[in-house]
Amino acid sequence: MRTKNILIFSLISSFFLIFLISIWKILATLQGLNINSFNIEVIFVSGFFISLAQIGINDRIKNIYKSIIFSFAVVICDGYLIQKLPLWYNIGVFLILYFFTNKISKYNYNNLKEEHSTQVILFDFLTLFGILFFSFVILFPFYMMIVTSFKTQIALLVNPLDFSINFSQDIKDLFKSYFVIFKSYKFGKYILTSTIVSVGTVVITLLFAIPAAYAVARLNFFGKNFLSTSILIIYMFPAIVLVIPLYTIFSQLGLRNSIEGLLIVYTATTLPVAIYMLQGYFKSIPKELEEAAIMDKLSWFGIITKIIIPLSIPAISSVALYVFMIAWNEFLFSLMFLDNPNSFTLSRAIQYLSGDAETPRQYLMAGSVVVTLPVLFIFVYFEKYLVSGLTAGSVKG
Amino acid sequence: MANIKFTGVHKSFGSNKIITDFNLLGKEDEFLVLVGPSGCGKSTLLRMIAGLEKIDEGEIFINDQKINELHPSKRQTAMVFQSYALYPHMNVYENMSFGLKIEKRPKEEINTKVMQAAKILKIEELLERKPKQLSGGQRQRVAIGRAITRNPKIFLFDEPLSNLDAALRAEMRVEISKLHNQIKTNMIYVTHDQVEAMTLADRIVILNHGNIEQVGTPEEIYNDPANVFVAQFIGTPKMNILKVSQEEISSNQINFLGNNVKIPNVNLEKKNYFIGIRPEHFSVSDDSEYKFEPKIDLIENLGNEKIAYIKMNNHEISAKISSQNKIENQMGFNSKDIFLFNENGERIKS
Repeated sequence: MRTKNILIFSLISSFFLIFLISIWKILATLQGLNINSFNIEVIFVSGFFISLAQIGINDRIKNIYKSIIFSFAVVICDGYLIQKLPLWYNIGVFLILYFFTNKISKYNYNNLKEEHSTQVILFDFLTLFGILFFSFVILFPFYMMIVTSFKTQIALLVNPLDFSINFSQDIKDLFKSYFVIFKSYKFGKYILTSTIVSVGTVVITLLFAIPAAYAVARLNFFGKNFLSTSILIIYMFPAIVLVIPLYTIFSQLGLRNSIEGLLIVYTATTLPVAIYMLQGYFKSIPKELEEAAIMDKLSWFGIITKIIIPLSIPAISSVALYVFMIAWNEFLFSLMFLDNPNSFTLSRAIQYLSGDAETPRQYLMAGSVVVTLPVLFIFVYFEKYLVSGLTAGSVKG
Repeated sequence: MANIKFTGVHKSFGSNKIITDFNLLGKEDEFLVLVGPSGCGKSTLLRMIAGLEKIDEGEIFINDQKINELHPSKRQTAMVFQSYALYPHMNVYENMSFGLKIEKRPKEEINTKVMQAAKILKIEELLERKPKQLSGGQRQRVAIGRAITRNPKIFLFDEPLSNLDAALRAEMRVEISKLHNQIKTNMIYVTHDQVEAMTLADRIVILNHGNIEQVGTPEEIYNDPANVFVAQFIGTPKMNILKVSQEEISSNQINFLGNNVKIPNVNLEKKNYFIGIRPEHFSVSDDSEYKFEPKIDLIENLGNEKIAYIKMNNHEISAKISSQNKIENQMGFNSKDIFLFNENGERIKS
């Protein structure tokens, strides 16, 4: 049993090592490094050997020395003997190996005895695989976007596959694309429009969604069930179906190219989900709290503003975040309704730029970064409000 | 200083009748306990007083003022909920002062009232804390404190102790009793726990299926139950109720546990009866009027007392005796401790 466990453990961990090093090699290639081969067999053998040695040595050598020795051995083998590669690449390999040996050091001769230990190991490594794979897949386009935005037109034309950033150039040249999009392409105005539209949508949506959700969650009225289920039916109509009738209506009402028009459409599209999310949370607030508030002489309006809203901050902020992101990134309606560059939102502006064949790619990418960053910062900031459990302590759970 | 009067109160949820024709007159400053099994309508009754539930029919008066249509906040009642219902986003002080703040009372008045209530309940050092930082007992104190600051004419308690553990419950029970002595106000207390009912109440109202089974002081309820339901509801272990068929009755005596028992001042007819006798009225001493040889199934030792489960003549009886006494082959009871009920479970008083 133990031999089998040790073998399986070594196999899984060496595959994991291959995965890690391969990612690093791909990244290094993108930085312009010329690597002859992936050396998969060498990495596999060394991974296997390290895993076995790790179990064999056990606690006889301190973990830190063990890790350093193994890492050095692999670095010399891969980075100097087979192919001479620059120092930064080898430092990367060293760090990966150090991480890897630390990771596997928790498995020792004793806990491999247990029958289910292979399952534990497999699950452990699968989780790591998953995290690394998805972060690679998700972060790579961001990385490309940022790198491209820091390039010059010439650099892009000379070697389009070069994904390194040239830090040796002047800081002014590095951020040139950003200066250009704000100066010549009026991105400042677009940001302002997008901000007004998004924040406006959040405010209006919440203004309607909170009372509506409260009514659906708490009050008894005729057609309540029909209403609460039909809220989501609105979402079954694809936006593209609505866009043409809306276009004609908005043209007649003179709402095209106006912020008001966008606010109406965005509010209408985000309201159903907002109500749906909020009513679920409102239902989870204990009814006794409201009854206590009624006895404290609070009116319905007072109950909503003084009890329900303070207790629903997590739900309200996640709804606000959701609505903001929808409004900020929305493209279809802004494409249809806005054709005057003076009233463009950010996403519409980027489409406008990319439609123009003469717009350099780095400007587009800089624009994309500008679109992405606010959402990122807002998400990080709001994240702390998303903690649930604010109602803890009100009633016995 | 208030009295409360119910006249012909009805309440139903859909076709489900919860309370039918409820009439009761509460005295001034009385501690009234509504007790009954779950689903008997006791909480609904309390919520009707508070105004959280509509009154279908009939009237409720507080100090001769009809409150049926009054807004909950104008009824001068304060409710302590089973789940405490403290506002989690406010600290203890804010929780207790919230109602007064809504009424826009002056700050000094709010402060003195909160401080007074905090002093009564010994929670002065907790005023800055949020409800989630309090233990169950402390939360319950704050909930009571919130009720006190409202200075109500009637306090309503909706099973306030049922979320607490046994030791804390006993402690809070004493506290509530003291509180009533301290602030002489009407209190209406709903519980399903007969111990709370017996220890706290000036008068107990025993409810079953929305009807009053009996109203009386704890002594009356215990010593003079009106029917089998009340007799069995109060007292642990519950009263032994044994069916007596007409064959077992002869010449005004009942053949009961091998004895011919004569019930004083009662003329027995040839009918079926129920005999009730409380477990604590069995004894092992020799000076009992009637004696029998028990066949003991099981003995539970509770430390200070023992409960013996006895099987005799198709009857299952429980008997409570002091644990110092040994159960030998004889047990006894007295005829004065026997309660007689007719076929319908109504008490035949001797």
